[in-house]
Amino acid sequence: MEQLTTSLTPRAPTNKTPVAGSSQQATGSVAKRLGNELMTLMMSSSPGISAFPKNDGNLFEWVGTIEGAPGTVYAGLTFRISISFPPNYPYVPPAIKFDTPCFHPNVDINSGGICLDILQDKWSAVYSVQTILLSLQSLLGEPNNASPLNTDAAAIWNNQDAFKTQLMRHYRPLKDESA
Amino acid sequence: MATDALKAQVRSKWQDAFKRINSNNPGITGLMAFSEVGHAVVHEETTQHLFSKQSWSHTLAFVKPINIKEDPPPKRADITTARRDFEVVNYCRRLPSDWCLDDDYMFSDEIRQKFYLVREDIDSYLSDYELSKDLSHISRLILRLKEWYDAWTPPEELGATIRNAFVLVFQTQLYSSLGPTFVKGFKDLIASTFPSSDPDIPSQTLDASTWVIFETLGFLDRYENIIASAGYEHIEAHVLEACAGQWETPMMDTLRTWMSEKVVPWLLLMYGRDANTTDEARALLSTIGSRFDFHVAKTLCDLRTREIFDIIVDYPDSAGALQDLKECLQRVDQRGALVKSLRKANRKRLLHPGAETRLILTQYVATIKCLRIVDPPGVLLFKVADPIRRERPDTIRCIVSNLVGDDDSGDSLVDESEPIVPLQQADTEDYTDPNWEPEPVDAGPDFRTNKPSDVISTLVSIYDSRDLFVKELQVLLAQRLLAITDDSTEKVEKERRNIEILKIRFGEAALQVCEVMLKDMTDSKRIDGHVQSQKASIVHPTIISRQFWPMLESSEIVMPGQFQILQDQYAKEFSTFKPDKRLRWLPHLGTVHLELQLEDRMLEVDVPPLEAAFIELFSEKNIRTIDELINAVGSVDKSAAFKALLAWVDLGVLKEDEPGTFRLLEVAEEAGPARDSSSRIAPTTEQDLAPVTSLQQQQAEQMKVYWKFIEGMLTNLGQLPLDRIQTMLRFAPGYDQTIEQLAGFMEAARREGLVGVKDGLWKLTPR
Repeated sequence: MEQLTTSLTPRAPTNKTPVAGSSQQATGSVAKRLGNELMTLMMSSSPGISAFPKNDGNLFEWVGTIEGAPGTVYAGLTFRISISFPPNYPYVPPAIKFDTPCFHPNVDINSGGICLDILQDKWSAVYSVQTILLSLQSLLGEPNNASPLNTDAAAIWNNQDAFKTQLMRHYRPLKDESA
Repeated sequence: MATDALKAQVRSKWQDAFKRINSNNPGITGLMAFSEVGHAVVHEETTQHLFSKQSWSHTLAFVKPINIKEDPPPKRADITTARRDFEVVNYCRRLPSDWCLDDDYMFSDEIRQKFYLVREDIDSYLSDYELSKDLSHISRLILRLKEWYDAWTPPEELGATIRNAFVLVFQTQLYSSLGPTFVKGFKDLIASTFPSSDPDIPSQTLDASTWVIFETLGFLDRYENIIASAGYEHIEAHVLEACAGQWETPMMDTLRTWMSEKVVPWLLLMYGRDANTTDEARALLSTIGSRFDFHVAKTLCDLRTREIFDIIVDYPDSAGALQDLKECLQRVDQRGALVKSLRKANRKRLLHPGAETRLILTQYVATIKCLRIVDPPGVLLFKVADPIRRERPDTIRCIVSNLVGDDDSGDSLVDESEPIVPLQQADTEDYTDPNWEPEPVDAGPDFRTNKPSDVISTLVSIYDSRDLFVKELQVLLAQRLLAITDDSTEKVEKERRNIEILKIRFGEAALQVCEVMLKDMTDSKRIDGHVQSQKASIVHPTIISRQFWPMLESSEIVMPGQFQILQDQYAKEFSTFKPDKRLRWLPHLGTVHLELQLEDRMLEVDVPPLEAAFIELFSEKNIRTIDELINAVGSVDKSAAFKALLAWVDLGVLKEDEPGTFRLLEVAEEAGPARDSSSRIAPTTEQDLAPVTSLQQQQAEQMKVYWKFIEGMLTNLGQLPLDRIQTMLRFAPGYDQTIEQLAGFMEAARREGLVGVKDGLWKLTPR
């Protein structure tokens, strides 16, 4: 069984990666880092954020959950995000997008893409899934209106009631919780 | 109309008749002879009939059954006449006429009618037998039957036909008259012919002539089963008598000798009577002999199977019995029965709540040794071992404590003389091995081949993983190392020696953690030496690496007063010596040597830290309540606190004035029972409780970690079926639970309202 896991884990990303030179060992160490991050995240129990690999055997595709921080317009809402780690993680940031439609100045309402500096040029290998999730959670309450992705949202941010109406118009509750 | 078919029919009839009369003589000589003797028969039917009738009545008179009780023996003088008469009758019989048969019946009827005479005799003998149970009645009856038989048998001169007819009729009549009483008597009679195993009782040997009588009367064929079962019973009785409880030496050879000396001669009488030479006899006996030999093996096997538990208890004194069992099992297919019997015996006699795990293990080791003799591949062992490993959770601990010689009772499970060898890996089979043998047929699917290996390997191998052993070993080692209070290097060295031995068994890598633990012990001493040289302190801590030690029982005790100061001072010195390390005190472990200066007396005691902490608190204030004390040292279990205080009460230092309130006795109370401080035998009672969390507690801790993972996956992935949870838990490091264990865990979580399940899908309960 153990053999199976270790042989499966590196193979999944190697199929995806176009990098010819990425050796088994390198992906193995990435998997190890991701495993450690998962462990840390599980044990930290930060309120309102969580993430977990989508499938067993593949540590490179995760699903995350972010709850809006209390006191913000997003309070009580839960957003699902998908996290995709590149094979050369953590030297390159993971690709993150919102799966739940999120009306937010820095989030693309259609694609779910996020405009956050630490996910782009400000990325550093010391960041982890946990720090990303925390950043996203705080981003919800404190948008960077200077470089908006969703200009409509940025425009009405100052009017919180109107913003809330727009937010709720787009928001879709998580599937299994409505069931 | 004379068709060809008709012609052929006539021809064949003619040929048939010709053949019948001519017999097998060449040409027509047979026919001629027939004409000569039965001249009238051929030509004159009436004459033939009369003549024949006359001959017949002569014959009949001659062969007529007589009453031997009254009639004189028939005169044999007229045998020639009789023969001639009979020949005529016989010749006539060759003609296809019905009257011959009629006359045949006449003869049979005659026997039938007269048979009541025989029956009378049978009844009288049998009723005698029933009354007295004396077998001589039976043998006399048989002799009597023989007399009847002899008297009635037509003389040989009259040819085989009439004799056969007679034998048939006589036996039919005889068998129908012999009831179950006779069968029983006959069986007993046969049984009594066996040479008794007790030489004092002379056996009633029947000579060969008796067997001839049996044969003549047709008993041997008719009662073959009965004779054989008498033989079997005799064998069974002998085996039981000779072998029950006799386990020291193999009995099989003795039994074989007994067979060839006592039973084979008997068999020869019965089955080998036709044989003229020994070779012939051997050939005749080969089938029946092997059947009897099989029966010996089966009886012995059954006996040993019943005794197996006691045999194992008696091991190694019962090696002979095991040899027997091995030999018998090869001949008799009784392996299943053996496993069943042993499992049953184990369940009834071993695995009951009253039995100590140690005893179970001792018996189990004996089982290993015994079954290794009986069945080297270990299939039987594997099947028997199952209940043992399921029943007792503390078996591993027992084995491990035995491994490290943590045994006061002295007798070790492991044979000292057995060399220490590495544990056998349950490795994959090497098919290139020229001596490779397939697994035995009765091996179950989860059977793991274990080559004949040492006891410890087998013990460890019945558990699915040796990790359990290593973990338990760490816990045990931690306990033992922490129990070393004085600076005794020897004790540490002893542990080191144990670990070195165990390394041979479990391999270097598995025991690396233990190695670190031992190193911590020596390092502690060194560091302590250094710290003491910088600033002398009365604190001598054992510094352990948290990562490598099993989880220690945590405690919230904060040492009060001077203890706190001492600890802080030491910690400061330590951090100057090792700046990157920080000491985290576990004040509840260890002991404190105290000198109590009271008004009228001085006490010198070794006490657990909690007791020391309490008495320290009394130095500030003479009267304190228990709640006050607990608050002062941080959170402590109330019963533990009470126990610590009572220890001081026992020493006459404290007194419980009213429930929950204690007072320091600066002046010893005379009224109290006189106590000598030195009479305190074991001041370290607290230490009886293992300071190291047991494996089970550790597992509970582990389960908490797994719960975090389950929570994580259910939060993000929505509802999941159980098997998916199980596979996803592979992300959790060291997850080793089975899906059944997980199901139990989830069920427990459901009862606590943490999760819900619907259609086999688990999901978190919304908070």
